[in-house]
Amino acid sequence: MPLTMVKAGEPSVIKKVGGKEETKKFLESLGFVVGGIVTVVSEISGNMIVNIKESRVAINKEMANKILV
Amino acid sequence: MAFKIALAGNPNCGKTTLFNALTGANQFVGNWPGVTVEKKEGKLKGHKDVIIMDLPGIYSLSPYTLEEVVARNYLIGERPDAILNIVDGTNIERNLYLSTQLIELGIPVIMAINMMDVLEKSGDKIHIDKLSKKLGCEVVSISALKGTGIKEAAEKAVKLAKNKATTPVVHKFDGRVEGILNSIEDKLGNSVPREQRRFFAIKLLERDDKIASQMGKVPDVLEEIKFIEEEMDDDTESIITNERYIYISSIIESCLTKKSKGKLTVSDKIDQIVTNRWLALPIFAVIMFLVYYVSVTTVGTWATDWANDGVFGDGWSLFGLEVPGVPVIIGAGLEAIGTADWLQGLILEGIIAGVGAVLGFVPQMLILFAFLALLEACGYMARVAFIMDRIFRKFGLSGKSFIPMLIGSGCGVPGVMASRTIESDRDRKMTIMTTTFIPCGAKLPIIALIAGALFDGAWWVAPSAYFVGIMAIICSGIILKKTKMFSGDPAPFVMELPAYHMPTVTNVLRSMWERGWSFVKKAGTIILLSTIVVWFTTYFGFVDGEFRMLEDIEMDHSILAAIGSVISWLFIPLGWGDWKSAVAAITGLVAKENVVGTFGVLYGFAEVAEDGSEIWGTLAGSMSMVAAYSFLVFNLLCAPCFAAMGAIKREMNNAKWFWFAIGYQTGLAYIVSLCVYQIGMLITTGTFGIGTIVAVLSIVGFLYLLVKPYKESKILQVDMTA
Repeated sequence: MPLTMVKAGEPSVIKKVGGKEETKKFLESLGFVVGGIVTVVSEISGNMIVNIKESRVAINKEMANKILV
Repeated sequence: MAFKIALAGNPNCGKTTLFNALTGANQFVGNWPGVTVEKKEGKLKGHKDVIIMDLPGIYSLSPYTLEEVVARNYLIGERPDAILNIVDGTNIERNLYLSTQLIELGIPVIMAINMMDVLEKSGDKIHIDKLSKKLGCEVVSISALKGTGIKEAAEKAVKLAKNKATTPVVHKFDGRVEGILNSIEDKLGNSVPREQRRFFAIKLLERDDKIASQMGKVPDVLEEIKFIEEEMDDDTESIITNERYIYISSIIESCLTKKSKGKLTVSDKIDQIVTNRWLALPIFAVIMFLVYYVSVTTVGTWATDWANDGVFGDGWSLFGLEVPGVPVIIGAGLEAIGTADWLQGLILEGIIAGVGAVLGFVPQMLILFAFLALLEACGYMARVAFIMDRIFRKFGLSGKSFIPMLIGSGCGVPGVMASRTIESDRDRKMTIMTTTFIPCGAKLPIIALIAGALFDGAWWVAPSAYFVGIMAIICSGIILKKTKMFSGDPAPFVMELPAYHMPTVTNVLRSMWERGWSFVKKAGTIILLSTIVVWFTTYFGFVDGEFRMLEDIEMDHSILAAIGSVISWLFIPLGWGDWKSAVAAITGLVAKENVVGTFGVLYGFAEVAEDGSEIWGTLAGSMSMVAAYSFLVFNLLCAPCFAAMGAIKREMNNAKWFWFAIGYQTGLAYIVSLCVYQIGMLITTGTFGIGTIVAVLSIVGFLYLLVKPYKESKILQVDMTA
């Protein structure tokens, strides 16, 4: 399911990163790779702050929808 | 010969703090050629022959962002003698992703693990010796904030640079990938130096087409790419990315002992409150109110009054001691040595009054910059972008655009300069162009004059001015993002949020000073020149066929008046085509509050109150209400004062963009004022003419642009016109 549906505080494993090539690559360099563990810290109307590889990353809804866990 | 050491690392890893600590005041700040990415270099303290180059913060050496392209062009093209790679110890896995790429460049690398103090507190431990062995480069631990270990790290980097020993690539990928890389390296042969072969081989395998321009001979590796993609069922770039992370995961086990695993960090806990769905906006509102209240209204006003009316005015008192103002002192001095009248006028009314008006904003700006630096340094600024992004994204601006605009309601100069915090080039340029639409403090007297003289002090005039400003920003955002200039470079909202931490006083002060000083320098050059020109044209002219200096009340003989009468026809369609209004608008370019003073002088008063109440009657007699409102709108939206234009020039860092911004602002002001006047006249007096048709056409065109469908460009453009 897309990351937007994950509840805050629950760690989940990334199964797929979709989206445009550049965006995907940028997400990968930030640590969003298949098999990585991602935790949602907080969420405002779809935009989320997630914890990935020990850092906090803010992503918007469109982006979060493309990360499948 | 000078040695060059490049500082490389992720954003928010403490790179700038380390750079400042290593170089002290010996810095040179500029821009990378052709782009608005800041370039900083400095001499290492205690080493005259060692130059430290601060590269932009990057996550990888792929060519997807401007920062990455700039950093990697430098590393490949200039080949520094050593790379000092700063790694955030609290987030080592992600940081090592870049490190593995830096090591492949064939340049000696030394790794400095930063934030050791934070790490110790959390109980985690990084085994430096093991890490060093697994990566094949020297590793030291530092705390950039506290200054521990940084000297040793720098000394080691210098030694490395002098020895010229390259860092061997120790990390290995999957056997199949290694095999393919070997065959590509063989194909490269002697066209690339041995130590750089692996880097180029990987880039070729990744289909990185930007790398070809950096190479002489580009071998064809399509076969290898096809083979490995079929073999591993993924595209080559993803294969390499995964291989890097697999290697990092494999070494991290033995190099890092984690105690705090699974627990929420302090930053996470703060974020749960500060970026909470319900609390985020109220907290944000309170913080912004405090910043605004202190820096724009209370302390800020006091500082500006002190600087404008005290230091650059009649004088001020220091603990009961009367200190005369700069003009008073210099005036007395010039009087004493018997300087000619015209020279006194130039110095006092031209230079000191003009530059003083601009410098008068410096204390207030410093207060604002200190707040901004504080918000940035503690990590809240990044959250602001997150909180406001959803709203601002709708009209093509970024969440961070809110801050420049808020500050711009006090003074446009620091407002425009605050746009520095916006990373996305497109969002930043758009913010710079639109920030000055918000009425600043100096525009308030114009509003008061028009409201008082023609609208009988009606309550709605001032709010309507802010409404016009906000609408101008929103409409500009919506329209501009559809133009070619802004449609490239899709900027998805993905950004790292740095951990919250206490900022240090030196860092905040340094950031405040850097921004303040660059403004002062501007005041000393462009603004100085502009004010002299305006002064000269105001106080010189032909009276009865004789060219001479003029008294205040003779201003209608001045060169400026002549210029005013020549261009005043331009403003006839706007309803205020007399030369006095044109001249007032021109002097508004020096400082917006001058508009009121100029009207005063032109209507025969040497000095008027701030809201110009003495001339209300005369002004009301010479202008209709509609024309006056059109005049007000024009002055609100058109090119800002010289100081703000200077700030726009500096932040755009490109003459073409600067003129585009000024042209857009003035053009928009002209069209909006034209519509206000023509439509207003149609309603109030029923006048219908060519102007009305033009106004109606403009409104139709404007509405078309507003609702025209918006297409996001499919191509990511990284413009490197260097």
